[in-house]
Amino acid sequence: MVQVGRTGNDGAQRSGHRSLADQLRSWPAERVAQLLTDRPDLATPAPHDFGQLASRAASRSSVARAIDILSRGEVSVLDALVVAVETTRTEIAQTVYADPSFVGATVDRLLDLALVWESTEGLRPLSAVADCLTGGTESGVSGLRPRSAENRSVARTAELVASVSPGARRLLEHVVAEGGTATAGSARVGISPGDETSPAEELIAHRLLLPSGDGLLVAPGEVGLAVRGGRTTTTPVDVPPDIAWSERPVRLATSAAAGAAAEAVRHVEQLLEWWGHRPAAALRTGGLGVRELRSAGEHLGLDNGGAALVVETASAAGLVATRADVDGNPVWVPTDAFDSWMELDVAGRWAVLARAWLASPRLPSLVGERGPDGKTWNALTPELSSGVLPETKRMVLTELARAPEGSGLATGTGLASLVARLAWLRPRRPRTRADLAAWAVGEAGRLGLTGLDAVPSYTRDLLAGADPVPALAALLPDPVDHVLIQADLTAVAPGPLLPDIARSLHLVADVESRGAATVYRFTPASIRRALDAGWSAAETHAFLESVSRTPVPQPLSYLVDDAVRSFGRLRVGVAESFVRSDDEAALAELVHHPRAAALGLRRIAPTVLVSTTPPDILLPRLRELGVAPVAEASDGTVRVGVVEPLRARAPKQRVAAAEEARAAAHAAAAVRALEEGEEAARSRPATASSPANALSALRDAIERRADVLIAYTDDRGVVGERTVRPVRVEGGRLTALDPSDGEERSFPVHRIGRVTPSP
Amino acid sequence: MTEGPLIVQSDKSLLLEVDHPQAVECRRAIAPFAELERSPEHIHTYRVTPLGLWNARAAGHDAEQVVDTLLTYSRYPVPHSLLVDVAETMARYGRLRLDKHPTHGLVLASTDRPVLEEVLRAKKIAGMLGQRIDDDTVAVHPSERGNLKQALLKLGWPAEDYAGYVDGEAHPIELAQEDWTLRDYQAEAAESFWHGGSGVVVLPCGAGKTLVGAAAMAHAKATTLILVTNTVSARQWKDELIRRTSLTEDEIGEYSGAVKQIRPVTIATYQVVTTRRKGVYPHLELFDARDWGLIVYDEVHLLPAPIFRMTADLQARRRIGLTATLVREDGREGDVFSLIGPKRYDAPWKDIESQGWIAPADCVEVRVSLPESSRLVYATAEPEERYRLAACTKEKVGVVRDLVARHSGQPTLVIGQYLDQLEELGEELDAPVITGETTVKERQRLFEAFRHGETGLLVVSKVANFSIDLPSAEVAIQVSGSFGSRQEEAQRLGRLLRPGDPGPDGERKIAHFYTIVSRDTVDAEFAQHRQRFLAEQGYAYRIIDADELQV
Repeated sequence: MVQVGRTGNDGAQRSGHRSLADQLRSWPAERVAQLLTDRPDLATPAPHDFGQLASRAASRSSVARAIDILSRGEVSVLDALVVAVETTRTEIAQTVYADPSFVGATVDRLLDLALVWESTEGLRPLSAVADCLTGGTESGVSGLRPRSAENRSVARTAELVASVSPGARRLLEHVVAEGGTATAGSARVGISPGDETSPAEELIAHRLLLPSGDGLLVAPGEVGLAVRGGRTTTTPVDVPPDIAWSERPVRLATSAAAGAAAEAVRHVEQLLEWWGHRPAAALRTGGLGVRELRSAGEHLGLDNGGAALVVETASAAGLVATRADVDGNPVWVPTDAFDSWMELDVAGRWAVLARAWLASPRLPSLVGERGPDGKTWNALTPELSSGVLPETKRMVLTELARAPEGSGLATGTGLASLVARLAWLRPRRPRTRADLAAWAVGEAGRLGLTGLDAVPSYTRDLLAGADPVPALAALLPDPVDHVLIQADLTAVAPGPLLPDIARSLHLVADVESRGAATVYRFTPASIRRALDAGWSAAETHAFLESVSRTPVPQPLSYLVDDAVRSFGRLRVGVAESFVRSDDEAALAELVHHPRAAALGLRRIAPTVLVSTTPPDILLPRLRELGVAPVAEASDGTVRVGVVEPLRARAPKQRVAAAEEARAAAHAAAAVRALEEGEEAARSRPATASSPANALSALRDAIERRADVLIAYTDDRGVVGERTVRPVRVEGGRLTALDPSDGEERSFPVHRIGRVTPSP
Repeated sequence: MTEGPLIVQSDKSLLLEVDHPQAVECRRAIAPFAELERSPEHIHTYRVTPLGLWNARAAGHDAEQVVDTLLTYSRYPVPHSLLVDVAETMARYGRLRLDKHPTHGLVLASTDRPVLEEVLRAKKIAGMLGQRIDDDTVAVHPSERGNLKQALLKLGWPAEDYAGYVDGEAHPIELAQEDWTLRDYQAEAAESFWHGGSGVVVLPCGAGKTLVGAAAMAHAKATTLILVTNTVSARQWKDELIRRTSLTEDEIGEYSGAVKQIRPVTIATYQVVTTRRKGVYPHLELFDARDWGLIVYDEVHLLPAPIFRMTADLQARRRIGLTATLVREDGREGDVFSLIGPKRYDAPWKDIESQGWIAPADCVEVRVSLPESSRLVYATAEPEERYRLAACTKEKVGVVRDLVARHSGQPTLVIGQYLDQLEELGEELDAPVITGETTVKERQRLFEAFRHGETGLLVVSKVANFSIDLPSAEVAIQVSGSFGSRQEEAQRLGRLLRPGDPGPDGERKIAHFYTIVSRDTVDAEFAQHRQRFLAEQGYAYRIIDADELQV
């Protein structure tokens, strides 16, 4: 029964291939490109030809990486292929406890990943696969050994197993369950049926346990299969665990998510605006100290965890970076990217944050926890990241997006079921995954990627690589262009304000409450701030009238006039640092102010004071004392100073999308290079003489289980040729069978000069 | 997104757009759980606090209703964390309950054992509890009922009190509604209180809180102890009760510095109750003098701390608190909640004003400039002297004279803080002065004369702040106050907001409230603080310069 080859989309020959390299050669370019995309390590550096590509694909480290991205079901199929050594699609479908269509599809995927290839004798896994399949059944590994060369059918072996004594059968089952090997102990290995004196010897006599040297006994694959009823596992392997859902009305979940999204944007905005004026000190190690984090949290009204997430997300989006302050100490300040970010609408700003978070390996949820060295983790510490986190985040959201309409992750049991499902999808990820997944769920909720643990439409767009902005923008409140000014000197913006109005209002009033709406309060100090920035009384009045939908209350107009009246009553000179005023009483007031002593003020004329304090210190001190001085330049004109917020340069970002595009381009380029290399290889003789080619030829022979003729320099410097069957290449040594006596020999690869495939 | 009238902010404030068609409906829906913080002309600010949510729980609302209300009326998506917080906070109320056990007496019981374990481990509480009866129940010393409730509230696990009330000594009390009727909101307030057992009724000054008290007494039909702020107010309560209820003069006793009568209905002042001699309260016996069935606390927001302690021992008796505001300058709102009871009724000033029960007011701040010489003195003065200097400037006298002249014929009060200043004004204006030194008899005579229009102008100190009905006052001129007290501002405005009879043209009078402040001094700063309160209550005010006044 030979049914090799496949009727896949590539239309490969029905009779299989001589080697993996040959099979890769037969693939259309797109399929090769897909391979290089799925296993990016094969494409860097670009392989010369298909021989080298196949050789690289067969190396153990690359195989291990490829297996890492398989689900538990896929690993089970791969494991069954290893047990079968060489098999057909029909046979493997019978061996795996799963739906045949699942097995078929999985075999196709394993072929696409070049973990398995179709030889003329049947499907073969790469030889490194068996070594890489570690872990127990929870990783999809059955624990059965490969089949022996005895060519017994499973059915016949099963009859044999049924015929042995119950003691021997129990022993056999135990050996199979414990990994398929046992020590021979005192059992004699070379006996025939009838001579046995113990269950072990009985099994040896019936060749159900085979001696494998070193005093070990092996239960070969067909025996294991026979014990397990013809299949590698006793339970189905193609059923991923379900996630527990609970009802979450779409309207509510979406609204909660959009609310959180707007909130996250607001937090980043508020924090960075603050840091622009009052930079946060950076630690020497590059992180953000606990005290700074706490004050950021207080400023935002968040706990430390929430503040850490805001800080880390802003940093991941390149909106914050370190620079030196005036004293040369490192401080965290917004980058110039922050200014362009602020130009976007809220949905656009959110998209930047969400993409950055999705691609970020940072672990803000660990902030405040103790690290392995017993020290607490600080936010923005460079080491605080995990390479598998971006994949986990994406998988978590993808799985949550699978939720039936109107439902979200169940409270309580939901998270555990999600972790179980992730464990099935990526069985070989580390144990910390449960934590990572929990953090991802929590952070996604806070950032508005989910609402009530359900995935809203705009996040689905984001995951699909589409633009989430239109869908999100439709959910967010429309910007408003007016405020309601009230007699208690507050102004309420009943929605997000247009950016330029918001900027002006920020100047002339203090923010009292934030949220979907903003409450501003006018105080003498805030009005003075606008005057300091160069606004005139008329301008201030005009602005208030233009933005207020209701008449400006009389007390506010009075407040503005009052501030203007006292504004600039004092003038501070640059040259000698003087204070002068036409208002003598005001000067007297100042000189006699108990807190003015440190300023060294002295009255030199009824209307002039001099000070020993430089103007840049004197000015703020005077303002603290409640007067409103203006600075005067040396030519007597008034200096108007607006404090520019601090900015740092944005760090270079590794943008996920760009990365992907680069990878795709890289794969395409690699394929082209491969085809050209192949042309060159074809014109070369079959004999491989360069070290790289020799290695490829050896790997090729391993996969083909074929003999090669090697030219080998022995210890005495004599070059001899010999025919060997390579078994593995590892650590610079080739292990091969000598066909003449069947013994394993080992050769240093660097001594092998030429490799010629046997005819 | 709906077009609702409410904006829910992440800092737990709720902004209600007043002109929205759904505003009234929404106000009614959020009032049970949100405290009105500010009510200026366009947007009212409410705040969701744990106390507010627990008040709502006590009134029988659950978290689902609250969340549903927020989602229904909210214009924008509601912050998720806020909804979670509401649910969690509300779930904390009633996990613990005070019950009457048939054999063990007063017990603290819980449906949630970890919570009980948590509070049992709190040091402050251990001393108040007796032996453990079973896993979920622990005995409570009966005398600690109030203290325990207070301590549990501080721990964030307010207990629901199911231990009930003693009926007290019965005494027939009826409302005598021959020539008047209880207003709807007054009846509603008394009704809410009675069903809730104990609690606080919040009504603005002039809205007739005394009548709510009387109606509560008519519900209880039992001996009643009434605690009021001062003697004058005590007399007013007495007069009002005689006029509005079936009680006669003989049934009502006064317990004050001057007289010590204990009768079925006894009115005592805070001052006499909290008098301390040699470390003991000699008048504490008052609380045990009779088997009171009801205790009325007037002006709860002023309740002095010792009364809180005494009230802790009175938890088995029904208590009603009456106040214009739950805001306490000392921040002891939580004690009011745990010791007197949750808020049972609340109506904002403006609503009642628009129903015509209290007079609308025109608030004006008049700014005077200190003369040059005073400025120098002011600038060099010690900080603690500054307010007095600024507030008592001579410039104000002229302005007061102008204002009095402008409103001649209208009953006018001039209110101030400093006796010198008041004496000076009294001389200048040729008007009687009432201060703390004036005898009660003299005070009553003058107030009576003012009420009947015999005197058109009174100069009064802070004795007039509380509970004195001067319904005829139409103009108040404030020359100085106790720094920036918001309460005081409310009380002073309250003097003016008692409804008078409509004038001959059928128009309701408009009250005028003037504050005179010195520009560029602490006086102006304090004035700003106080006015902010007025503006937040919805009373728009104007600021004018003294020069403009003369025009």
